[in-house]
Amino acid sequence: MKDQLDSLLSEFESALTPLTEQADVLSAKANFLGKKGKVSEIMKSIGGMSPEEKKTIGPLVNATKDKMLSILQDKLNFIEIEKINQKLEKEKIDITLLDDIKSEGGTHGGYHPRTIVQKEIEDVFLSMGFEVLDGPHVEDEFHNFEALNIPADHPARDMQDTFWFHHPSSDVEKKQLLRTHTSTIQIRGMLERKPPFRFIAPGTVFRCERTDASHEMVFNQLEGMMVGKDVSVAHLIYFMKTLLKEIFKKDVKVRLRPGFFPFVEPGFELDINCLICNGKGCSVCKKTGWVELLPCGMVHPNVLRAGNIDPDEWSGFAFGLGLDRLVMMRYGIDDIRYFNNGDLRFYEQFHSF
Amino acid sequence: MLISLDWIKDFVEIDDNIDTKELESLFTLGVAEVEKTEVVGDHLQKIRIAEVLEKEKHPEADKLNLVTFHVGDEKKLKVVCGAPNVKVGMKTAYAPLGVTLPNGLTLEPKKIRGVLSEGMLCSEEELGFSEESEGIIELPADAPLGVTTLEYYKLKKDLIFDIDNKSLTHRPDLWGHFGMAREFALLVDKKLKNPYDDSWLEEAKKKYSDKTSAPVTIKVETSSSCLGYFGISLENIEVGESPEWLKNRLLAVGLRPINNIVDISNYVMCELGHPLHIFDRDLIEGGSIHIKKLDAHENFITLDEKERELIADDTVICDGQKPLVLAGIMGGLNSGVTEKTKNIFIEVANWKAKEVRQTSTRLGLRTDSSSRYEKSLDSMQMLKTLYRTIDLVMELSPNAKVVGELQYDGPVLSYDPIKITISLDKINRILGTQLKKEKVVDILTALEFNVEGSENNLDVIVPSFRATKDIECDADLIEEIGRVIGYDNIEPVGPQLDIRPVELQNRAKLSKDIRDFLVMNGDATEVMTYPMVGEKLLEKCQFEQNSLKLINSLSKDHDQMRTSLVPGMLESAALNGKNFSSFKSFELGRVYMPDDKNFVNERLHLCVSFYNSSQSTYLDLVNTINRLFDYINISSQPILRHPKFKNEVLDEGWVGVHPFEFHNFRVMGKIKGMATTLHPLMARKFKIKGSLSFAIIDLEDFADKSRVAKVKYKPLPKFPGSNFDYTVTVPLSMNAGDVLEKLRKVKIKEIISHAIVDVFEEKDKDQKHITLRTSFLDRNATLSGDFLKSSEATILSELEKSGIGLKQA
Repeated sequence: MKDQLDSLLSEFESALTPLTEQADVLSAKANFLGKKGKVSEIMKSIGGMSPEEKKTIGPLVNATKDKMLSILQDKLNFIEIEKINQKLEKEKIDITLLDDIKSEGGTHGGYHPRTIVQKEIEDVFLSMGFEVLDGPHVEDEFHNFEALNIPADHPARDMQDTFWFHHPSSDVEKKQLLRTHTSTIQIRGMLERKPPFRFIAPGTVFRCERTDASHEMVFNQLEGMMVGKDVSVAHLIYFMKTLLKEIFKKDVKVRLRPGFFPFVEPGFELDINCLICNGKGCSVCKKTGWVELLPCGMVHPNVLRAGNIDPDEWSGFAFGLGLDRLVMMRYGIDDIRYFNNGDLRFYEQFHSF
Repeated sequence: MLISLDWIKDFVEIDDNIDTKELESLFTLGVAEVEKTEVVGDHLQKIRIAEVLEKEKHPEADKLNLVTFHVGDEKKLKVVCGAPNVKVGMKTAYAPLGVTLPNGLTLEPKKIRGVLSEGMLCSEEELGFSEESEGIIELPADAPLGVTTLEYYKLKKDLIFDIDNKSLTHRPDLWGHFGMAREFALLVDKKLKNPYDDSWLEEAKKKYSDKTSAPVTIKVETSSSCLGYFGISLENIEVGESPEWLKNRLLAVGLRPINNIVDISNYVMCELGHPLHIFDRDLIEGGSIHIKKLDAHENFITLDEKERELIADDTVICDGQKPLVLAGIMGGLNSGVTEKTKNIFIEVANWKAKEVRQTSTRLGLRTDSSSRYEKSLDSMQMLKTLYRTIDLVMELSPNAKVVGELQYDGPVLSYDPIKITISLDKINRILGTQLKKEKVVDILTALEFNVEGSENNLDVIVPSFRATKDIECDADLIEEIGRVIGYDNIEPVGPQLDIRPVELQNRAKLSKDIRDFLVMNGDATEVMTYPMVGEKLLEKCQFEQNSLKLINSLSKDHDQMRTSLVPGMLESAALNGKNFSSFKSFELGRVYMPDDKNFVNERLHLCVSFYNSSQSTYLDLVNTINRLFDYINISSQPILRHPKFKNEVLDEGWVGVHPFEFHNFRVMGKIKGMATTLHPLMARKFKIKGSLSFAIIDLEDFADKSRVAKVKYKPLPKFPGSNFDYTVTVPLSMNAGDVLEKLRKVKIKEIISHAIVDVFEEKDKDQKHITLRTSFLDRNATLSGDFLKSSEATILSELEKSGIGLKQA
């Protein structure tokens, strides 16, 4: 009997092996395990056996039956997966055809490098409680010069080549110009608020200057100003060092030397140790080891007065940062003219992800 | 400006062995930027006189010789020499290895065609004596062997500082060596030697006094730019070459020696910082000098032999007949000192800075004189300058003699001292230092300020030479103290500040949000183009703009302010279309609209452009803009062209506008934007081959508004909704949106939306089938079958009114 069961099992297995369709498997199942199947027939024959024989044969038959059911289920699962996989194969996509290997569609978006660096600096200052201000590009002489302690015919006006506008009527006294520096926002910022305050003002400025790889007629600056009760040179140096550390992600050696700007007194030029040669002297720093980075100083009393602030009660510092210069240093950009020329071959290098 | 350390040493004791790098750094950190320094004569100290002993042909090269020579000490030296004039027995100059020549060449041991050369025999050019020379220098036979060329030529080693003129804009006192020496004295902590003090001046006045009547008298018109004019006559002058010391000093500071009299005027200017002018007195007609403003336009030939166009209001110095000098700027060719000059007239004057600057700027004529006067010079320095000049004339032309009394005309000369009161506390507060009073007083005194006052308050009297536009208030004094103690010696301190929340202003937030969305979600790249455009580009675009024009533009391509971002975008797209088969870019920037009242109305615009070389990107663009508006929480709808309601950003009649691919954007009720695909005709002009779609949005009106997210939560519906899907057939030309538009007329409050499910075009039958889905929801009840039936019927009958019927099966 046991042999009979074993041969039935192997018969069932070999019957299933060639089958590939679910229906055929099910009909094989009926042949063996159905009501009139071969297993049922054996089951029926058990009825005529002695109780002892039943005891030994019964479990054998059940075990064979379970084994068959298990084989059957495996076969059915196998066929189902095969079917699905066949279908998937038919629907197969080319998984190598990703955007970045296509001539079209591989474009990432990206920010202008100015935007990237400007945001970084804004974040540094926002974290230190500075507001971020904005102002007009077309200015009058008051905001660009007079209020900043640069009266008409002051030689300092020569230092900044100014674009002037034709005026519809020629007899107007106040002449319009394109702002030559973001320092105009010092005046606007002061007139709009009461001390103490601190703010920065990034923005576009214009100089009537021949363009070349390092000079632009349109470029970006970032102005900063802080006015309070006892704001000092020591505070100014602290903020500048903190700023530079954040920008360059390391301690940067700086030096402060006298610099003349009519709107600050004392006025400084802040130099940083050349990052290319670490101060040993190279072509970038003209062999001096230092790179001129930002003019700064204590706000001139006349400028505070122009902003309706009493210089005997309040003091403050101001600084101007050449944003484009910083962008060029950050990325090693060799020609400032790329910033405004609309050429995507330049901009697409700065994509953000 | 060039400053010679040797000259400075006339007034300050400076150690010959001082570290020049250190001195340069001290000066830069304490006074003004040294752009570079140059050691003069360093090579001459190492180059010695040699005698040629033998000469033989170089075995490998025809034109080269092997020259054996000595410098007097038996030791024979050998060099390879290419000079044609080398001959045995000649004396010449030998530069050993290690010497750096003025042309920058450092001599290193090197083989020339296989033969080792131990340095070189030098030409005049290599010694730095001339621009060009042929062959090596030939010295007289009696030139002493072994002596350095520095000694032989009686030259001095010198250090030349090239100081950035811009950093001296506010320091008229530093435009001469004497003033500079005052700073050097402070830097090296030595006392300034002043050979031209008051007692010297009194002495000189006595020495050069002649009570006879002056051959040339002076008349200054008060309307002129003159602040004072001294003149004195000398006779029996011998004009000739200047002595070596004088020539060398002028050469050291970049001036060309001419003759002793002209050289003296330059020397005194470079020494004391005050310009002066010396006339050939015999060329002054009528025995008088008249300082006045010109009445009318006049041409004048300046010393440099150029004709200058003077206008009325230019101040000139005239004799009885004609202008002789353009005040404060340059003398005329008609009265200068020449070799024939016998009698001279010395002018020392002061002029109004503003007027000198105006005239010099207008003429484009910047001189050593004008660049000093425009800084506002101190009138109190005039007499000193005059007597120093006479001193030198007498020294170089000993037979000269002053004739007549010193002449002066102009405002009464006096200095009403500026007094500034400042407290020690304030100095320390502003600098962030703890300086003692003694230190402060020492510094100010060394700079020749007079300090008085008790305890905490200092009364500081400003010397006249610092009182012209330089030191005016306490902040100026704080700078003097700060720069002398050294800003590097101030310890950085973080201030104690109030805590106040800060955030970006609305405008900055909007710009940030727009950039973030377009970059991250729109896959677009940010570009920037020039805010100034030119006629050529505008004509190419057929853009007519009433714009703000610049007076002094650098080129015609950038001579007016843009009123739209479109022309710049087209130019950029034309460039990028050549390099990319597709791109998405945007610019967020200002346009500048002329404004009658405020001159200009600066508006923040956004221009987004999508390009594809083969297919239209228009729908992608408009979808992106719609999503952008959602992202920035500003309500906007794209609307179709309407004859009455035009957008404010681009003329819909512009030839670049596409006939079909066009929308306006109604933003918060106003039509503030548009989108279109560039008309192929315009695309052709820019050689743009594919399809360029772009949108322009004027953001100005809501840039400063706060934007609040409009999300309103509703509880989830408790009752199921129902969808009604149906397909209608319409003419091919009808837009899907038109069908939706008709459906909006159905007023059933349970309808929550109509949407397009699918569109199937049957081009051959000139029709299309649109499958629509209307969704119903009643939040308070289950929708009844009867209600749905009747609603569906209402919808279909509404469409029927426009001739839109269900698709026939």
